[in-house]
Amino acid sequence: MAPKIAFLIALSLAGSAFAQGFKPTRPVEVVVHTGPGGGSDVLARAVAAMIEKESLLPVRMQVVNKAGGGSAVAAAYLAEKAGDQNTIGFFTGVWLTTPLTSNAAKVTLKDLTPISRLVLEPALIAVKADAPYRTLGDFIAAAKRNPGQLKQSGGSVTSRDNVVRQLLQKASGARWVFISFPGGGERIAALLGGHVDMMVIEPEEAGQHIRAGNLRVLAQVNETRLRGFPDVPTLREAGFDVAVVPQVRGVVAPPGIPAANVAYWEDVFRRLTRTASWKKYLEDNQFEDGYQGSAELAKFYDEFTGTMRGILQEAGIKVVR
Amino acid sequence: MEIFAGLMQGFALALQPANLLWCLVGVALGTVVGILPGLGPPATIAMLLPLTFLMNPASAMIMLAGIYYGAKYGGSTTSILLNVPGESASVVTCLDGYQMAKKGRAGAALGIAAIASFIAGTVGVLGLMLIAPPLARLALAFSAPEYFGLMALGLAMVVLLAGRSLLKALLSMLVGLWLAGIGTDLFSSESRFTFGRMELLSGIDFVVVAIGVFAIGEVLANLEEPAAPQTLPIPKGWRNLLPTLQDLRDCRFAFANGSIVGFLIGVLPGAGSTIASFISYGVEKAVSRRREEFGTGVIEGVAAPEGANNSETGGALVPLLTLGIPGSGTTAILLAALVLWGFKPGPLFISDNPSLFWSLVASMYIGNVMLLVLNLPLVPLFAQVLRAPAYVLFPIILGVSMVGVYSTSSSLFDVGLLAGFGLLGYLMRKLDYPNAPLILGLVLGGAMERALRQSLMMSDGSLTILFARPISAVMLSLALLILLIPVVSRVNAWRRRLLS
Repeated sequence: MAPKIAFLIALSLAGSAFAQGFKPTRPVEVVVHTGPGGGSDVLARAVAAMIEKESLLPVRMQVVNKAGGGSAVAAAYLAEKAGDQNTIGFFTGVWLTTPLTSNAAKVTLKDLTPISRLVLEPALIAVKADAPYRTLGDFIAAAKRNPGQLKQSGGSVTSRDNVVRQLLQKASGARWVFISFPGGGERIAALLGGHVDMMVIEPEEAGQHIRAGNLRVLAQVNETRLRGFPDVPTLREAGFDVAVVPQVRGVVAPPGIPAANVAYWEDVFRRLTRTASWKKYLEDNQFEDGYQGSAELAKFYDEFTGTMRGILQEAGIKVVR
Repeated sequence: MEIFAGLMQGFALALQPANLLWCLVGVALGTVVGILPGLGPPATIAMLLPLTFLMNPASAMIMLAGIYYGAKYGGSTTSILLNVPGESASVVTCLDGYQMAKKGRAGAALGIAAIASFIAGTVGVLGLMLIAPPLARLALAFSAPEYFGLMALGLAMVVLLAGRSLLKALLSMLVGLWLAGIGTDLFSSESRFTFGRMELLSGIDFVVVAIGVFAIGEVLANLEEPAAPQTLPIPKGWRNLLPTLQDLRDCRFAFANGSIVGFLIGVLPGAGSTIASFISYGVEKAVSRRREEFGTGVIEGVAAPEGANNSETGGALVPLLTLGIPGSGTTAILLAALVLWGFKPGPLFISDNPSLFWSLVASMYIGNVMLLVLNLPLVPLFAQVLRAPAYVLFPIILGVSMVGVYSTSSSLFDVGLLAGFGLLGYLMRKLDYPNAPLILGLVLGGAMERALRQSLMMSDGSLTILFARPISAVMLSLALLILLIPVVSRVNAWRRRLLS
């Protein structure tokens, strides 16, 4: 019953995209590269719930987990679905960096059809509340005095955490150690336990530890100050004029789908980003609205890949493409 | 007093009919998910997330947590009956559980699993309720060197899992360690042993290896015996359907061991229930008077790991609720759920939301009772599975294994791997190589290597960091002690021979 009503409502709302004739006819597969509970998986399920609530699609969305190979398995799965009209995927920056460092990851985002960019995730640079560093400058100066002694916990070497470190090291000449932990929980535990000195952390994760007086924020990795952190300087304001590499999330489709389909999906997600549920979701998670349409997103790929290639090479990581 | 008042308030909420119903839905779903190999609590909770938006958060949390600990009850069922581990934490249960089933004691094994789960699950909730905040601080004292000590301690258990030949056990463990090394190196992003296959970039899923080596290997080995009419003896009479008083007496230590080891390891964000079950099994075997009989169907060998993986859930909720730090796949998705419902998980979560916390705790006491009541009557029913003749049972095992593996990854490549590991398991049986050390190496290998490399990065390359920190020093000494067990027992045997 409910899907039928949703369908009727969708028809009644039908705009230009519907007029061009495409609409999905069976439940849409939404491919994500993480297992259940991973960042992309949670976003995809939240989006599916919002799209259903706002009746933006005539059919249901079904999340399909294609974990493995960083993001290579999910990307390859989408590439195999060339021309499939009922499949889309949620990508993150990892989909761009994995093919840079791995020969086996043959499908890049450029082989898929860009739909839209949805989210930019800002980050904070945090230290323990009892650490002697009051500003990012303090931390960098301490790292300069003791080269290779201070430690940062983070994800893999291709993660944004390490990219921020590389950029700061290059700009300041300081050097500190980057220690990879596979799970987000372990990274924060290492910082709270005093085993490492600094961490690049997501605002939502950090917020409660700041309130409880466990962590202090030195700077934010964003172009402008976040609403939740009005007193914390951005990297540029803290005196480090480095590129802000965003953590990005968005939507792609398999290769070889008609232009009308691209327009349809673009329209669905554009309308999604205008809903109140979406704005609340961004607010709750302290994400930035990163909406871009298909054409802009294709341009963004090239910039992002170029920047990342340079950064990874400077970090001494083998780049294969 | 504060705890008592909180708990009363929690029970008042948890005992509301709607919440009782959601608790029942959660634990029943959890049991089913636990019984089905492959489909685990993280996937189930993720699928139910959109539904929870329509629910009141306390009810939703009660239900999702019910799935989490309920699955630990169900996980032992297929391990015992079919030698197919239902969850990664139930792999160890296969060792003695399946042997018990082979001896016609499937009912006792299933029953003791439910009872141990109940006792340890309740102890886990008690721990969560009474000592969560100080324990969370203790967990923070654990970092890479301490985890290395813990993993070394776990790996030393290999001498306890060895059958007749220690050398064969070590070889089997080394293969496991090598399998753990396959994938993308976390620290350099380089591929290791992936042979150009992108499916191997994120390593081999432990469940694929465990189901292949245990279940498929067992089926292949059994096929050799021509036309065996019945695979396993059917438990006869009511007395054999449940554990006896003697069984319960034998398991006294196992209940305590499983509860404590499971809870403490659960609190550590970098460990997990699989490791908890292995370590409690090792502890049980190390202190047992009938050590040699382990692996042939000893009831403590089922009670200890099944208890440990249940009290682990109480432990794992400690860092999640007191610090907002998830330690496993399931707690990570519970964290995501809390954020989606508009909560702010973190150090102030409990003081901000006392009624949610206390109703969750109260519901876990209730849920554990429900699970015991739900699971014990199922024991005779499940034991009937063994009535099926081999030509029915074996295809079922093969089917359940393949569906289980495919449902975790939806990857046919993994199904191929499953067949490969099935062959490996068969060969290991023929050549008398124990398969548990292989699984042990695979479970611990990755975490151990990471912990060692992280430690060395922390200390600028100096190994002294492993011995200079008290917790890791203690663990490494314990590991050394365990390694000495076979030496001591050999010296004892030699002395006995000399005396007589």
